[in-house]
Formats: sequence, C-alpha cells, structure tokens
Amino acid sequence: MSSIPSLSTRPPSSRPRRKVGPVKIISLLTLIVTTFLMLLPLFFMVMTSLKSKKEMLKFPPTFLPESWQWSNYTEIFDTLQFGTLYKNSLIIAVLSVIGTLISSALVAYGFARYKGKGNKIWFMLLLSTMMLPYPAIMIPQFILFSKMNWIDTFLPLIVPAFFGSAYNIFLLRQFFTTLPEEMFDAGRIDGCGELRMWRQIALPLSGPALATVAIFAFIYSWNDLLTPVLYLSSSDKFTLPVGMASLTSSRFRIPPWHLLMVASVLAMLPIVTLFAVAQKQFVEGIVLTGIK
Amino acid sequence: MKKNRKTFGTLFAASALLLTTLAGCSGGKSVEDVASPGSNSSSGGKGDKVTITYYTIDSEDRTFVEKLIPDFEKEHPNIKVKMEKAPYEQFDSKLQTLIAGNKSPDITSHYGYGGFAEYYNKGMLMDLTDLMQETGFKAEDYNIPEHLMDIYKVKDHTYGIPLNMYVTLMMYNKDMFDAAKLSYPPSDYEDKSWTFDKMVEDAKKMTVHSDDITKTQYGVDFTWSERDMRPLYFGADPYSADTWTNGGVPSETHFDSPEVIAAYHKFFDLIFKDKVSPNTEWSKSVAGQNGDPFVAGKIGMSVGGSWIMAGSNDFPFKVGVAAVPWGGNDKVRSPLFVDPLLILKDSKHPKEAMEFIKFLLTTEVQEKSIELSGGNPPVNTKAAETYYKHFEGVDPEDVKKVYEGAVKYGYESFNHLIVHYSQINDMFINELQPVETGHKTLEEVMGTIQKKVTEIIKR
Amino acid sequence: MYLFISPWIIGFLIFALYPILSSFYYSFTEYDIIHPPKFVGLANYTEMFHNDLFWKSVVVTVRYTFIGVPISMLLSLGFALLLNQTIPLKGFFRTAMYFPSMVSGVAMSLLWYWIFNPQIGLFNYILSWFGIQGPSWLMNPDTALYALIIMSFWGAGAGMILFLAGLQGVPSSLVEAAELDGAGRLRIFWHITLPMISPVLLFQLIMGLIDSFQVFTQAFVMTQGGPNYSTWFYVYNLYTSAFKEYRAGYSSALAWVLLIVVMLCTALIMKLSNRFVHYEGGVNK
Repeated sequence: MSSIPSLSTRPPSSRPRRKVGPVKIISLLTLIVTTFLMLLPLFFMVMTSLKSKKEMLKFPPTFLPESWQWSNYTEIFDTLQFGTLYKNSLIIAVLSVIGTLISSALVAYGFARYKGKGNKIWFMLLLSTMMLPYPAIMIPQFILFSKMNWIDTFLPLIVPAFFGSAYNIFLLRQFFTTLPEEMFDAGRIDGCGELRMWRQIALPLSGPALATVAIFAFIYSWNDLLTPVLYLSSSDKFTLPVGMASLTSSRFRIPPWHLLMVASVLAMLPIVTLFAVAQKQFVEGIVLTGIK
Repeated sequence: MKKNRKTFGTLFAASALLLTTLAGCSGGKSVEDVASPGSNSSSGGKGDKVTITYYTIDSEDRTFVEKLIPDFEKEHPNIKVKMEKAPYEQFDSKLQTLIAGNKSPDITSHYGYGGFAEYYNKGMLMDLTDLMQETGFKAEDYNIPEHLMDIYKVKDHTYGIPLNMYVTLMMYNKDMFDAAKLSYPPSDYEDKSWTFDKMVEDAKKMTVHSDDITKTQYGVDFTWSERDMRPLYFGADPYSADTWTNGGVPSETHFDSPEVIAAYHKFFDLIFKDKVSPNTEWSKSVAGQNGDPFVAGKIGMSVGGSWIMAGSNDFPFKVGVAAVPWGGNDKVRSPLFVDPLLILKDSKHPKEAMEFIKFLLTTEVQEKSIELSGGNPPVNTKAAETYYKHFEGVDPEDVKKVYEGAVKYGYESFNHLIVHYSQINDMFINELQPVETGHKTLEEVMGTIQKKVTEIIKR
Repeated sequence: MYLFISPWIIGFLIFALYPILSSFYYSFTEYDIIHPPKFVGLANYTEMFHNDLFWKSVVVTVRYTFIGVPISMLLSLGFALLLNQTIPLKGFFRTAMYFPSMVSGVAMSLLWYWIFNPQIGLFNYILSWFGIQGPSWLMNPDTALYALIIMSFWGAGAGMILFLAGLQGVPSSLVEAAELDGAGRLRIFWHITLPMISPVLLFQLIMGLIDSFQVFTQAFVMTQGGPNYSTWFYVYNLYTSAFKEYRAGYSSALAWVLLIVVMLCTALIMKLSNRFVHYEGGVNK
C-alpha cells in the first residue's frame, strides 16, 4: 500500500505559527462570549439540582442554592430505580452505536462509490424514509413489531440500527465522496477488493466522520423517549428518559424539578465523556490513521 | 455486475415475500387470538392463570397501584395483574397504538387528554351493566353515592365505575389574609354572606400592583374548571340540556348568547376592571409553564380542583380551604372531576377485570390508596373520612365541610362528558388568548368560538 | 454495489417500507384506530385544502424553516471556522459549543422557559443592558415563533461538529500553496475551503430542511401550538389529528403531502447542487 500518495493532511494546527493578529483576538473573544451562553444551561442545571424542594417554589428564583442539597444526588436512586434505568439505556445505546457504525458505513460506501442507474432511485428512497414524520408511522410500526413478538424487549430499539440509519448513511456518503479518487486507484492496482478498500482506505480516512456518527447515534438513542415508551412495558426494562418523564407526569402535583435536574446532570455524563474522547478525532483524526 | 444483480434479485424477492406475509396477516386476527383459545375458557374462574393489564399514567400518584397488586393476587390466585404505563403526554397515543396493535389493556381510565365521552363515542368501552349484575357489584357495598354512578351511565347503561373524586374548592394563603387583617373565608357552602362580590372585595385588599414583579401580588386566581364551563358559574348554560342524555353530543351550543358573553365579561373583569386577578402572562412568568402562582405565595385565594392541595405541606406559607363563593347559580358551584375505571371493549377477561375494580373500591384499599398515592380523594364515602385528615396544617373539619358542600352543589366537569373535548379546549385556549392580552373584545371572538365549537362537535 | 447496500435494503424493506406503505394506504381511508379503516378515496386530501388549521400550520412551518435553517447553518459554519484555528483551549470550546445539543427533553424546556421569562428571564435581562424592553416571547403570538427559532440556534453545535469534521478533509497542502501565491483569507475560504466542504454543506441544508419541516417536540412540550396558534407546526397539526382527533387517515394524508413537498424540495436542491458541490471520488458505472 506504500504506493498510495501520501497527502499532506496534517491538521491546520501544525501549520507554521502566525503572529497573534487582530483576527485571532476577535475570534477568541467571540468564542468566550458564545461559550458563556452555551454553558449557561449547564450552570442552571447544576445549581437547580442542588436546591431543596421548598426552594424550588420560591419567586423570584434564587440564583445559587440557599443550602446546598448534595443529598439530592443520593435521593434520585431512591425515587427512581436509577441504576437499572442507567444500565438499560447504556446497553441499548452502545449496541445501537455499534450497529449504526457498521451498517451505515457499509451502505454509505456503496452509495458513495458507485453511481449506477439504480443508485439515484435508492438514494431518494433512503432520503424519503426520513421525510415521513414519526407520528405517521408509529402505529404501523408497532403492528409490525408486535407481529414479530418484539414487544417489551429491547429489539425494536436496537435491531433497526443494524440495518443502517438513513441520516448517518447520508452523512457518511457525503464524507466518502470527498476521498480522493487516486487513493482507490492505487488500491485497485495493488489488487485490493472493494471490501478491503472499504476497510483499509475509506474507514481509516474517515475518522472525524465516524466519530461524529458515533456521537450522534449515541445521543439519539440515549435521549429517545417515544420508542421506549411505546415498546417497553415492564418497568425493569425502562430507559432513562422514560424514568425522567415519570417525574413530571403527574397533572396533580408539583414536579420535583430538582430531582429532574439531578437526573439530567447524571444522564449527561456518558455523553460528555464520549464527546471529550471523540472530539480528539476532529483534531488528530487524519494524522493518526495509518496509511502504511 | 451481472452476478450482483442476480443476488440482488433473489434478495429482493425474498424480502418482498417476507413483506407480503407480514402485510397479509395485518387484516385478520393476531397470532395470539388464534393461538390462545384456551385462555377464554379460563374466565370461568378455575384452571389456568389469567393475566389482566391495568393501564395508567407513569407517575407516583398513579403507579402506587402496583403495591396493591400482591394483596389482590393472594386473594385471587388465578388472576395476575400486569401494569402498563406511559407518561402523561404519551398516554393517549400509546393507548391508541396498543389498541391498533391488538394489545389492548383491560382496565384504564381517561387519564390522558381525551375524556370519557371521547372513549365512549369511539366505541372503545365495554358496557358494564350485565357484567356488574353477573359479578354481583353493588355501588352501596362500596359506599359510592348513586348520583356518582350516574355520571358514567349513558341511556341506563353503565360504562365506567367511579374511583377517585376531585372537587373544586378554594385554597387561601393564611399569611396574606393575616397581613391584610381579613377574616378567613368560610368552609360552609350554606353561608349566604360568602358571595362572588365579597370575594372580589377581599381580593382587592390583598392585591398589590408594582413595577417590580417580585412585589406584585393578586387577591384571587379564579380558575373555575376549564374555560368553556365557566359561564355555568353565573348560571348561563353554554351547552344544551340534551348533552348528558346524548352521550356527550350537545344538539346546540350557546357561546354567542348574551348571557354567556355577560358571564365571560364578569371573569375578565377580575383581570381588567377590578384588577384583582393575574393574566396568563403574569402567572406563567411567576410559576413557569404548568405551575401555579398560588404555590409561589403570590395569590391570596385560588379556586381550582382539589389536587391543588397535594403538596401543600411543602408550601412556604400557611394554607386553609374554603367554599367556592356563591355566584348566582343556586344549583352548581363546584365542578367535580370523578375519575372512573373503564374496561376496554377488546378486553378478553372482563370478569377478572371487574374483580380487580371491585378490589380497588373496597374501603380498606381505598383508605390505603390515600396514603400510598399521597392524597388521592377516594370515591368511597367511608374512606373519605381518612382523606379529610390527610393534610397537615389544614383543619380536617374544613376539608370535610368543603367536600360535602361541593358534592351537594357539584356538577361533573364538562371535560369528561363532552365529545372531542380536548379539541374544544385547545380551541378555547387559542381563541381566547387575544382577549386575555386585551387585543380583542369578547364580542369579537365569541362568534368564532361558537362557530368552531359547532364544527368540532359535528365531526 | 448491492453487496454494500444490501443490509440497508433488507432493513429498509422490513422496517421502513411496511410502515410507509401502510400509512400510504391509510391516507385514503377513514381510520379512527378503533375500527378497521374504510376506503374514502381522495377525501382526506381534498379536505385539508379547506382546513384553516392546515394552512396555518403550513405558514408557521415554512416561516420557521426559511428563517431558521440558513441562520443555523451560518452559525455552525462560523463556529467551526473559529475552532479550526490554533487557539488555546480548543477542546474545551468545542465541548462547550456542543453542550446544549446533549441536554434532552424536559430539562431543556424548563430551562428555556426560564430564559424567555419576560420578567425575570435571562434574555430580556441582556436586552435591557442595551436599553431594549424585551417582548414576552413565548407568551406573545407575535414573538413565540421567533423565540423557538432563537432556541434552535443553541443546537448549532451539532452542525459545527459536522463542519469541523469536513474541514479536517481540506488538505492543508492546498491552503499552503494558495498562501504562497499570496491569496488572502477570504479568497482561500471562497475558492478552496468552501468547495472542499460543499458536500457537508449540502448535507446540512437537506437535513436542516427535512428536520425543520418536522419540528414537533418544542410545540408539543412548550407551547402546545399556541399562543393563538402561532406555533401550530405542521407535524403538531398532524399529531393532533391522529391522537387527539382520532383521525389516523387524515393524519396519514398530511404526512404524505409533507413527504411529497419535502421530496420535491430535496430533488431541486440536489439538481442545483450538481453545479456547486465538489465531489472527489466516485466512478460512474
């Protein structure tokens, strides 16, 4: 594979340092202001999660908690079966991510590399599956899964991911199309089959895109409320969003907002971790991939 | 390429075949129906275990029933009860999906946005009249007043059995009354001095207007039932009398009649003329989307369903309960919100479902439920005594008087009894909005509302 | 090729095609979910053209899309460009920008209710620094839709990530060569960066369109379509028809009209994009 021309795809950061000009200062300032705005929700969530139930009723609302209720963070485990919810959500999300990555990358490659006759039609069909709003297919989909005897199992939440998600296929296709043709030509000369080119050329070069898909797929599955509500009926199979929704479901009493915020903060931990790890991909993705 | 195409062809054919078989069985009975003829015969009581499903809202004040199931299963070893639940927002969509997918639950209530009339008119409910006879159900055995049983009767057939009863009452902020040196409002419905005008007078003394929203407070928040029902408080009836005998389909509505418009004027005067009530914007600013500004201690008197008492122990001020003042209607002063248990038409085990309903209505279970639910008002009058004592810091005698008065002058809320109610209510909220902000007059919108109500009901 | 897309074809046929075809069939029926569907021909389709709420929902949705999507895209691209430079704390900034997209559901709506609170909310507080008396946002029919559009900008972080990933594919050799030729920043952006990330741009545009035509959750959770129908979105209308009005047939017809309109828009964009979008690879077989 050495014959593949090594593209100078170093990240821009390794470019020769320029002087700190006005452009950079302005961008830094803009970033600080927007970051402040973007982080406000986090601040608000954490502060609310540490307030007492009584304090939540106060008007005007307090900015910082009057007394810091760290016990809220243990109380959530008594109020909801938080551990079970967390575990279920994790199982479903991780499997969905694996399924989405494999299948979407495979299908997207097919769509990106071959522009045959049927391609356009299939591609439009693919897009069309995203154009019907969920409420419109909810009932027929339920009928389908209930005939397969999948109700009250994780299957309806996981298996479809293994057959690709239209959004991610489209996304990866766009990325695969930007890969330079010469690399594949070189691969072909080396006698690589398509599957091998997929694995050894396309995938390694698409680090940032694959990381993006992983994050999107995780968040999608992690925060999904409608599907688990519809398909799960035993409470020991419930997921985090379902449990959190139960906190605000009573029409007759004041919801425990403070506990909801505790749950939201804890629910964000895996996403933040995943993101912090994956965002490195956006910096180093291409450099690290071994084109040897 | 050729080869590929061929494999694709077989693949496609196989998938298509699979698809048609899937589609093919959607019309007929589901697999279970065919496969389990034995389960029907078991409804006699002996033999196999029968599973019934109880569908409810996924919130603590509803799911506590799960804790009662073991007792029931001990008493009825051949019946297993399974609970199916959904968050409030998804309650109706999940119920409809379950029914469409042939997984209908056996027992539920109208906990979503659709009411009894909706379910009845769609033919979702089972006629319980014969079933009650067969299983020996008598309302008096469970201390359910006969007039409450009548609420869910249509043309002498019973379609629902009451479980909980919320009434409309007044809650007041004792601290605000004390600060204004006012005497507390009475809990006795027969007290003739307690009128709408007296309430407004008291409210004026507690109202403070200020540019600083944190200092503003209002005397009264009069959320008497839903918007369309309010004219009834002053004695104007917006729906024709045949509504209740006709399964919730009124033959006429009178939203543009002078009496109804005059009644609405009185309500809006609270906001615009007397300025003792907050507008929606202020309420939402203070209390958030679904919150109640009373809870924030900014309202002297709040008229609403008795669920506003839930959580009163946590309020940062002292509270009391009082009668809804007299407003000109001698018969009706308190809308009731009676939640029934319903058996769905597709239930395969109605008899067993009936057993569970009976269990939930016994005095013992109804009493237990008050504590477990955190204060759901029982329909069983014997258990009610326990309910009156449930609220810390509120005199049980007052709660009792208010409840008894409310039942005497009670009227089941329209939201359960009129067809397509959630649409009517949505429409009301949207169409009245410009009036609430002062952009339009009542005379301008009531004509449109009348027209739209008629359209919705006719559907 | 079919080897590659076959997993999707199987899944498509099973999981997607069946519900899609069912809803197509329902759209020609009167179906209240409780009783079996009854064929009524085109009645559902002709009805919507005489339905006030349908037209209201179309206007609301189109306005939301045409204002929201372009601004969102510009913001995402802007953030991505900012963060694609050598800047200290880059990882932190990236995570922070993406943060709002991680928060879900009820927590988010509670938060936004607080931010848009006309009296004590953050938004009007900031406006007051500039001497502007802010409107009542979500509670005012004239501003509620704009409040939701502003809210959607907080999701720009997701778009930013996509652009960042795209920017990584721009070979720095090209940029350096251009710099040697003395090209300015703007020229480099216009002639090199933009064409190189145009596939991502196209993706964002199409997905932005599809998504914003389907906006639902905000209206469902925060405004219930109000005040005075000002946030009565297309899919909110569709949901209400199905699950509040028990008219799954009519609701399916609404879904299909949406599908066809969005499909036409997408096809149009794709056609136009052939001129602008730059693809590297791809053999024409």
